[in-house]
Amino acid sequence: MDELRSRQLKQKLGLFWGNFGLPLIFILIVIVFSITSPNFATSYNLLSNFGFASYVGIAAIGMTFVIMTGNFDISIGSMLALVGVLGSSFIPKIGGVGGVLSTVAIASFLGFINGIFVTKLRIPAFITTLGMLYVFRSLAYIYTNNVPVYISDRFWLYFGNGKLFGVIPFPILLMVICYLVAYLILRKSPVGRYIIAVGTNAKAAALSGINVDNIKILVFTLLGLFVGIASIVNSANLGAANPGLMGQNYEFQVITAVVLGGTALSGGNGSLGGSLVAALIVTFLGNGMGLMQVNSYWQLVATGLVMIFAVSLNKLKFYLLGQGE
Amino acid sequence: MVRFLKLYEKIGIFILIVLASIFLGIATPNFLKTDTILNIITQGTYGAIVGFGMVLAITSGGFDLSVDAVVALTSVFLSILIPNIGIPSAIIISILISCFIGFLNGVIITKFGVNPLITTLSMATIVRGVALLIANGKQIPISVTKFTVIGTSKFLGVPIPIYIMVVLFIIFYLLLYQTPLGRHISAVGSNENAARISGLNVVFIKIIVYVLVAFTASINGVIRTSQAMIGIPSMAPGFTLLVITITILGGTSLSGGKGNLVGAVFAGIFISMVYYGLNLIKVQYFYQLLSVGLILIFALFVDGLRQRYLEAARIKGIKV
Amino acid sequence: MQKRYLKIMLVTLVCTALILTLSFLGCKKEEAAGGASMQVKTYKDPSEITIGFSLWTMQFTFFQNVEKGVKDACKDFGFKYVMIDQNSDATKMVQDINALVGQKVSGIVITPVDPGAIGPAVENARKNGIPVVCADIGKSGPVNALLISDNFKGGQLAAEFLAGKLNDTSKPLGLGNLLPQWTYARQRGEGFLAKAMELGYNVAANIIVQNPSAEGGYDTMQQILSAVPDVAGVFFCSGREAVGAAQAIQASGKNILSVGYNGDPEEFQAMKDGILNATVLQQPYYIGYRSVEILKEILLDGKFYENVEVPVDVKLVTPENMDEIAAEILEKTGNSAFPTE
Repeated sequence: MDELRSRQLKQKLGLFWGNFGLPLIFILIVIVFSITSPNFATSYNLLSNFGFASYVGIAAIGMTFVIMTGNFDISIGSMLALVGVLGSSFIPKIGGVGGVLSTVAIASFLGFINGIFVTKLRIPAFITTLGMLYVFRSLAYIYTNNVPVYISDRFWLYFGNGKLFGVIPFPILLMVICYLVAYLILRKSPVGRYIIAVGTNAKAAALSGINVDNIKILVFTLLGLFVGIASIVNSANLGAANPGLMGQNYEFQVITAVVLGGTALSGGNGSLGGSLVAALIVTFLGNGMGLMQVNSYWQLVATGLVMIFAVSLNKLKFYLLGQGE
Repeated sequence: MVRFLKLYEKIGIFILIVLASIFLGIATPNFLKTDTILNIITQGTYGAIVGFGMVLAITSGGFDLSVDAVVALTSVFLSILIPNIGIPSAIIISILISCFIGFLNGVIITKFGVNPLITTLSMATIVRGVALLIANGKQIPISVTKFTVIGTSKFLGVPIPIYIMVVLFIIFYLLLYQTPLGRHISAVGSNENAARISGLNVVFIKIIVYVLVAFTASINGVIRTSQAMIGIPSMAPGFTLLVITITILGGTSLSGGKGNLVGAVFAGIFISMVYYGLNLIKVQYFYQLLSVGLILIFALFVDGLRQRYLEAARIKGIKV
Repeated sequence: MQKRYLKIMLVTLVCTALILTLSFLGCKKEEAAGGASMQVKTYKDPSEITIGFSLWTMQFTFFQNVEKGVKDACKDFGFKYVMIDQNSDATKMVQDINALVGQKVSGIVITPVDPGAIGPAVENARKNGIPVVCADIGKSGPVNALLISDNFKGGQLAAEFLAGKLNDTSKPLGLGNLLPQWTYARQRGEGFLAKAMELGYNVAANIIVQNPSAEGGYDTMQQILSAVPDVAGVFFCSGREAVGAAQAIQASGKNILSVGYNGDPEEFQAMKDGILNATVLQQPYYIGYRSVEILKEILLDGKFYENVEVPVDVKLVTPENMDEIAAEILEKTGNSAFPTE
């Protein structure tokens, strides 16, 4: 009897932790920083941090899809730079709106190419995108001859620096919309079920009539699309698209957010909301530690420790729910 | 055809090297000098040595992104320890500390069940931070000139790092292909559950693997520090990606279970040749990056074709 | 099934339309509001002033010295001081500058990893009445002041030194160049190439140091030696790399002149050990200190600074004048030019 009760309790705790664990960690972080550094918890600071979190958050949504199918994309940092310099260099010819649309279109196309390589040439995603990481970056250098593209177009800049009603950073709205669209795709459409099926067991999915290749190409294309949006936000924040400095280490930040958010690298089901909250955690942590005047070498140590700690905590859910691994 | 493809699997990277040599030989008179060739091989050893460790990690189905930070940590410890306790003990202690980092990686991956990518990526940040903390962000010059022997001197006209690589190659070769441990590592990489069920101590095997990766990274740190004669907490930025490129180019399968140490040696030398050649014909840096990427994709493209052909042959019932 | 697809398509379309209209309307409105001139808040009491400092990275000696200058100046003037490390990440830099604005600091000093990317962040700071000074590297868009090291001249000095020592234009030179993304510092290489050409020398090898540290300099020197075996003099555009290159020359047993850049402690040590022949000295501590001094003039004295460019001189250090210059540095900054501990 007792055993049963304790099992039920564990189940409840597990579910609770699975749903609210990360948000709790996030709230904890905000509270700690609010106490330690003055002016951290002002609406200005919190909102602008939310805005910056969209840089990682938007691509993390796309990456969640890709990882759910058991794949990977480590070329997104270079892709971010390449589409940023391409799109922004078009502005003088086709205007801000055209530039924005073409950036997203090119990014989707690059994602599509990654998908084709992974599926049709059967090169593992990790290596394809490792090669693409070099290719995209060098193309960005070659295209610009390493001269940054300065952006003065108000429309483009609004994507990174605009404020709705004068307060809410525009990237927040973008992130929310991206999330809603992704949520609909994942939870309300058959495509979402196919993605999960492919990630859980590709062979079984193929046998049940799902076109596995098409699904994989689709998720890579979607990721490209989201990276395109993130690239506009990022280059608008920076006021320039720099072929060498944009998106350094971006792939690691995004993958960290997705894994921290509870999506298993082995594929299967994932959590879009988790990825978003994790993106918030990563952004707030970096910002808050700087303001706390933590020695920047200690910051490196602390970031690593928090990452391992958070992922281990994620395991807690599975332990409490009585599921192995 | 099948036989040809099997052969390619073994010596594909070697063919690339021969092609590159012919090209470089024609393009420049300097290439065919012993000095130049030894120089290229020496530069190839740095990646290849750590490549041995990475081959083991990938064979066991894992990954290690912390090697660059371990190189830096070794460098810092060497520069602090050498003036105080002498060269041999400083080297041994630095290597032991690195091995301990590898041990931690292994424990976190196996005992806490954290994904290897995330574990080693986090560990890289932590170790880099620790290296900076210990050195207080400074570079620490080493004034004990004897230490420079390891990285720069020659024995019978051949630079010492090449000997170190050869010795490590023999050790890792025997370990991976001739001992039960090597077979177990492959078994864990091919199918971890099956390995566990058949009674292998998966935890122990994985921990050993990560210790060995850190060991190779640490050896690299010793060589590089002895060349620069300075302890550098920010040493080897971006080195991990290079090592992974070399490992994969060398033919180690990312899906685990199949490691290729010979390939790692030649891939290291090949990458070094590519950079040498491109510098020589004064190709802009941008195009160097591009060519590394294209070579990688090309090698994998051929590899993919090969696998498909072999698969088709298998289905048709041809013995492979 | 079909209906659901339609629904998603519809939602996506509506969202895209929404985004485009909103941002279109938004940016039109901002345009009308933009262009306000800067209003600096001045202070009477130095203890009310907080200086925010956003720094490229604490991993390189040069920047550690800039930081020391900023910190010491704040202490001397009685200001509070907040430093955030960009960790060599342009995106983090922009976030940090924004966070400093959120902290309501009184003035901001920036040593940017990407000078091209500070535009909107600086604009935002200045809109909030916070003056901005760039401590070296460069800027984009208006700032209050920029202190900038004369990198082009530094490269020229290096070429002149080598030419003076070699005195034979038939001898080839080598250049260990910087990564392409560091546009500003690549002026050193440009200056070197221009001066070498002017003096009639051939720079036979111009190789980028892929790995910006001492062991990267070692590798690149090896590559230069392979490509141009009779190279007689080399210039490496950064101190870290020059020290590694000097070790490689030492190991090769050849007699090759080497020049570094920065005047880092490890370079002074290498010159003392007789393996490095010269370096171009920058003044990181002064750059940091003077930046805060300018902010003090703006915030306390109400002085007007707008887009003022302050050139900071560089000079050549050789083993002959090394001790004299080291003594000068010690007197001016309180820091030893040689490695401590």
